[in-house]
Amino acid sequence: MLHGYGGHVLRVDLTSGRIVREKSDPRYLIKAIGGRGLNSWRLYDELKKDVDPLSPDNILLIGVGPLTGSLLSASAYTTISAKSPMTAILGDSAAGGFFGPQLKQAGYDQVVITGKAEKPSYLFIADDHAEIRSASHLWGLDIVEATTTIRRKLGDNAVQIAAIGPAGENLVKFATVACNNSRMFGRSGMGCVFGSKNLKAVAVRGSTPVSMADPLRFLELCREMDRRIFEHKELSNRHAMGSTLLMKALNDMGLLPTNHFQKGICDYIDRISGQTLAKKYKVKNKSCFNCNIHCSRYYMTGEVESEGPEYETLCSYTSRIGNDDLVFALKMNAHLNRMGIDSLSSGETIGWAMECVQQGLLTKDDFDGLDFTWGNAETIETLVRLITYREGIGNAFAEGTLSLARRFGRGTEKYAFHVKGLDMICGDPRGMKGFGLTYAIASRGGDHLRAEPFFELTGRYDEAERRWGIREIADQLSNEGKAILVEHTERQALLTDCMTMCKNIGLSMDVLDFELASKLLTAGTGLDFNVEQVNKSLRGIIDADRKMNIDFGIDASTDTLPYRFVHEPLEEGPCKCQVVPIEKLVKEYYQLRGWDGQGRPADYVESSQKKNLRKGDKSGGRNP
Amino acid sequence: MIVVDPQKCSGCLRCEVNCSFFHTGSVGRSRARVKVVKIEPIGIDYPVICRQCAERYCARCPESAIQIGPEGQIIISPTLCVSCGTCQTLCPIGAIELYDGIPYVCDLCGGHPRCVEQCNMGAIRYEPRAAEPVSLKGLRAARRKLSPEEKRVRFAIDSTNYLRDQWVSARRS
Repeated sequence: MLHGYGGHVLRVDLTSGRIVREKSDPRYLIKAIGGRGLNSWRLYDELKKDVDPLSPDNILLIGVGPLTGSLLSASAYTTISAKSPMTAILGDSAAGGFFGPQLKQAGYDQVVITGKAEKPSYLFIADDHAEIRSASHLWGLDIVEATTTIRRKLGDNAVQIAAIGPAGENLVKFATVACNNSRMFGRSGMGCVFGSKNLKAVAVRGSTPVSMADPLRFLELCREMDRRIFEHKELSNRHAMGSTLLMKALNDMGLLPTNHFQKGICDYIDRISGQTLAKKYKVKNKSCFNCNIHCSRYYMTGEVESEGPEYETLCSYTSRIGNDDLVFALKMNAHLNRMGIDSLSSGETIGWAMECVQQGLLTKDDFDGLDFTWGNAETIETLVRLITYREGIGNAFAEGTLSLARRFGRGTEKYAFHVKGLDMICGDPRGMKGFGLTYAIASRGGDHLRAEPFFELTGRYDEAERRWGIREIADQLSNEGKAILVEHTERQALLTDCMTMCKNIGLSMDVLDFELASKLLTAGTGLDFNVEQVNKSLRGIIDADRKMNIDFGIDASTDTLPYRFVHEPLEEGPCKCQVVPIEKLVKEYYQLRGWDGQGRPADYVESSQKKNLRKGDKSGGRNP
Repeated sequence: MIVVDPQKCSGCLRCEVNCSFFHTGSVGRSRARVKVVKIEPIGIDYPVICRQCAERYCARCPESAIQIGPEGQIIISPTLCVSCGTCQTLCPIGAIELYDGIPYVCDLCGGHPRCVEQCNMGAIRYEPRAAEPVSLKGLRAARRKLSPEEKRVRFAIDSTNYLRDQWVSARRS
């Protein structure tokens, strides 16, 4: 018997209505581990690479890992993957909450959704029963309304739901999927893929408990993990503020994106910091499944109440766009969550527009009269509504910053801060070189979570020396050894995504190492996940992502950063005069990965040479 | 008995997870004897667990399979129980529920409740000698026809109305 894993893959074709429940193949699981890895291999093996992301042929995957929903702390995550409509390369997004553990208890490792439903539909899964139901009554509802309506109708408040809002329905390219109302699958437009398939939601209820191969050993290992968490020096700050603690922390480093990365220090930080949020608006802690940090927060203002926000949302709707009004940002957080819009990508479109107006490249007339002066709340609110329903100028904004800038031209492309079409996160890479490299090489585009090299911000010089023999790795301004760090943390990040655990804990707090993970996986599943095997699997997934992305059309020239971060030094603060020597870092990274000068894995080069020899052979079928 | 402080509860389910694991070696809501109700649109999380009520509705078991232990906990005889579900129907708050024919209800883990041990929010406490038994009279008739999950939701809302009022007066005045 397979322990840990759900043991099944559910295949749903929305066009024909055909639903098949397959057994998971243990050999495949060893290679893919679970979660993001499982999704990546499935796309690699089964997706036609030239498919239009919005066509019925795109494959939408919901994956969980072998330890999801187990005794392991923060084993809460789920990954949704597909070809991204925003970037036309690999797209995926993970979220915590309670959806994944419930999917596991229903007996699944993965849900594979293809086709397009004729009418708005939602997928209902209850253990081995699955059916496609009408969602006509849900279409147009926001995420909270839709979730509540489904629960009422089923008479079961414990059913877990991943749903889209109006933005997903209207195919906004950066639409999100949400579970538990406010745990967002935010990046790369997975909500848009839901919408393109006429899929409003997936609702799941499971009743089979998750068993472990060696429960006592597993318990022992979980307690070791808990001990590492409870002894961690960041524990109390993370408990009090969650990721919003970064507002002040990054501002102190001079790296808090302010007025669209023109500055790294924000004058009004005290009005928008995580501390202020906790003191004035938080009412209690919230948490994902089985977490002992409880980093999320429930808040109330005069106008709204909601969960969150996380750092990226808070920064995207305050300093990044020049807004000093915290209450307004909290209102927008609640609103974006309901509508199903990614705060980062929408925030970047706003920041881009504001900078283009400031630079004199565009004016009010270009935006149907909307006034994009820094922090203009009225404009921001109006624009988000226009984006949600793709009305007026919102239709162009709903395509994402890259497409928006290309449409306007006139030099505005220089201010579209994206990598491979995905908008950059809120961390100025000029003062944290490992992060800079991460954004450039991340397989879903401009994002930190692929490798989050948080280590470089923790000042642990001795630990850097012990692990890699290079002290400078612990210096955020140094370029030395940063490729080594990123190669390492990229595997660590993937590991947490595969298991599936929270990356704030596994990675940023650096409590999950390969040894402990290998022991947890082995005790949990009964399969032989020794350290070598785990690393082999992780490297295999990273290479598969890369090969897939090359087929999608990326090459070495897209492994870079926007102009500002390479050529315009920061003007003040502790990171003054810094830029990212991105070419050098990327080159070092390729070497460590065993990729050639064009960033191609060796076996990809070989197989494409063979393919060229066999002209006319169009099978292209790759088997696992 | 076990006492709940919903202000401190983050809704993480560690009580549920550890309850299920320590009783059965596996993790799942259906095998947990404490179940957290999450009412997401209003930010409420509430672990529902046997209140050791004054009325002891479940002990009216037609097969006499339910006894009250020395700590006030419910003891179910696996040999006498015929899985009829009467206890589940009678409990007004959904604290006892059948899974695979077995009624799951808090047994206080022999005096060392694992849920309390693992709750690092301090949202659930164990008080061996609670002064007055709680009365659930009045709830039963109105809720007889509801499922255990629905009964838990109603109970959670009733038990946290005061908390919402506190939040509103603190943040909105």
